[in-house]
Amino acid sequence: MESMHTTRSNFTRASFDVNQTIHWEMLSDDQCEEIFMTVLELLERTGVEVLNEEAREVFEKAGCWVDGTRVRIPSALAEWAARTAPSRVTLCDRNGKRAVRLETTYSYFGPGQGNFFVLDPHTGERRKPVKDDVAATAVVCDALKNIDFVLSNGYPTDVKEAAADLHVFEALLTNTTKPIVQYVHSVKQAQAILDMAVAVAGSLKELNKNPFFVYLIDADGTLVHSDETLAKVIFAAKNGVPFIYHTKLVLGDTAPATPAGALVVALADVLVGVLLSQLIRQGTPVIAGGIFTIRDEENNMLPWGAPEVSLVGTGMGNLLRYLRIPSFGFAGASDSKISDAQMGLEEAFSMLHMGLSGTNLIQGCGLLEYGLTGSLVMLVIGDEIVGMIRKIIKGIEVNEERLARGVIDAVQPGGTYLGEEHTLKYFRKEFWWPTIMSRARIKDWTEAGSKSLGQRATEKTQSILQTHQPEKLADDVLAKLREIIEKAEAAL
Amino acid sequence: MATLEDLSKAVISGNVAKAKKLTQELVDAGVAPLDVINQGLIAGMNVVGVRFKNGEMFVPEVMVAAKAMSQGIELVKPLIAETDMPSAGKVLLGTVKGDLHDIGKNLVGIMLESRGFTVIDIGIDKSPEEFVNAIKEHQPQIMGMSALLTTTMLHMKDTIELMKEEGLGHVKAIVGGAPISQDFADEVGADGYAPDAASAVDLCKSLLS
Repeated sequence: MESMHTTRSNFTRASFDVNQTIHWEMLSDDQCEEIFMTVLELLERTGVEVLNEEAREVFEKAGCWVDGTRVRIPSALAEWAARTAPSRVTLCDRNGKRAVRLETTYSYFGPGQGNFFVLDPHTGERRKPVKDDVAATAVVCDALKNIDFVLSNGYPTDVKEAAADLHVFEALLTNTTKPIVQYVHSVKQAQAILDMAVAVAGSLKELNKNPFFVYLIDADGTLVHSDETLAKVIFAAKNGVPFIYHTKLVLGDTAPATPAGALVVALADVLVGVLLSQLIRQGTPVIAGGIFTIRDEENNMLPWGAPEVSLVGTGMGNLLRYLRIPSFGFAGASDSKISDAQMGLEEAFSMLHMGLSGTNLIQGCGLLEYGLTGSLVMLVIGDEIVGMIRKIIKGIEVNEERLARGVIDAVQPGGTYLGEEHTLKYFRKEFWWPTIMSRARIKDWTEAGSKSLGQRATEKTQSILQTHQPEKLADDVLAKLREIIEKAEAAL
Repeated sequence: MATLEDLSKAVISGNVAKAKKLTQELVDAGVAPLDVINQGLIAGMNVVGVRFKNGEMFVPEVMVAAKAMSQGIELVKPLIAETDMPSAGKVLLGTVKGDLHDIGKNLVGIMLESRGFTVIDIGIDKSPEEFVNAIKEHQPQIMGMSALLTTTMLHMKDTIELMKEEGLGHVKAIVGGAPISQDFADEVGADGYAPDAASAVDLCKSLLS
């Protein structure tokens, strides 16, 4: 391999800067500090509405000023909460193996929820989701290389509504080993879900050591925190279960029209949940996040494919990075009703934007029709998009071997690099290999049926559903899960 | 003791040094030189060809395997009479007059050699007369013309016509290059067209079978 290098220098050098990846900078540290200071002032001067009595007591004991339901938080306390919350939360797979690192700027993508319809992956029909659809979502996520966690992708309508959280959890738990983000309606459901998780992990201690699920707790938005919401936070903190405290804001409606103002409200909102959890149990793993959009005045609706979703989402990601709090964001959705270019554009742009922002846990992949319809086919396309994103943001390694001076000299002007050992060494991993993007010649593509991306992705989705076998849970564990659900359904 | 199968495996895995070493060992051990070539080196390349067609191996891997094979052949060549050297056929390649592009043509040549063809590459910017003179000199079974520019591809027709006039119509003429198509190949009276280097090899094999 003499041609691989020219000379090897024994002299090491100093002061050489390297960018390991693309650097995407929006808010500077100083701007983040400015926003954070405004948040602290807001919490201290205006305060927030806290509608949970236990929470108010905890806040007052810690030094907050409580007037009725209005709680004003001293800056030092809010700052302490941001610093005390752990900078890293590691989610594991169902077997307790470390899987997803929510820290620094690692980004992970997954499906969304909150949709009222799904597109049937076999017939394309737009219909209400059933429990089998949640199971199908888990199977598909389990098979996709670039999707790292699961969400329901639509709540089932064929189960008892009060126990829907549990059915979702069961369907996800039994069809994938990937980490689960689980929404809970109230503490009752949170308890049953915890029981189910403990049945799988073996004990609460084991679950705490290697958590494979997080609670998704939605703040109520605009600085009012309801009784039930904070009860869930208290429950999660007391049991040492990581949770996401998540706010949703509409610029110009439930938040100021300016992104900076919206970020102030959002950060103030989530810090209330962070503070409560740290006061209940210092060191509770918490993930914070926000989902932002605007009002589309022409159509009187909230768009999720709008560029503002990622713009403000990136701002929130920057802020949470500044505070070293693991972050939860949103990307991969579209306002289109069908699988067309608009869907592709909005899905890809938002995912790239949020991937560049360094937001840790990014939900929402596969939502069409401004979040109303979940599509597994769109999720499969999203998996391909993540592959491209990872290549785009990867950066270029510059070192002696990759500079290939010796190889270039050996190949000589006009020569080809095709037969070089250097090429052989790198060609498989240096280039991105598509799985559903078509690069076929027109003749081959026509002979294969002239299929669009949507059709190819549909075939891949159907193939996964037909052939993929996720790891099964033991029968006795499955029985325990059933038992917990039945008991809960009787009680709820 | 090295076997012919070991040699094939070295070729398949593109291990140039090992292929050379095993070739020498087998020759020193008294194995018939033609057997070393056919059952060791070429046999390995045939497996590579199949895997390449199946999409399990790719051009860079094929090229390194070809390197291993050809360096093995260089060691055995002196021991065989030239007439006994196995060859899948002789192909003459060139880029037409007025056209200086040759990367594609070069790749075709390399791929053909890796599959056992003897390749004579006369280079770029060759007139119909230069093609015909080269054909008379080297007597290939197939001649291939490459063009990248739409302005130069018309020379292909002139070359094929000149070949026929000079009584060389028995030599198969194939064409390739970005602006070329099957329709164009039919128009100019070519015997074949291939869209890329890999299919060019298949085309040559089928023309001579």
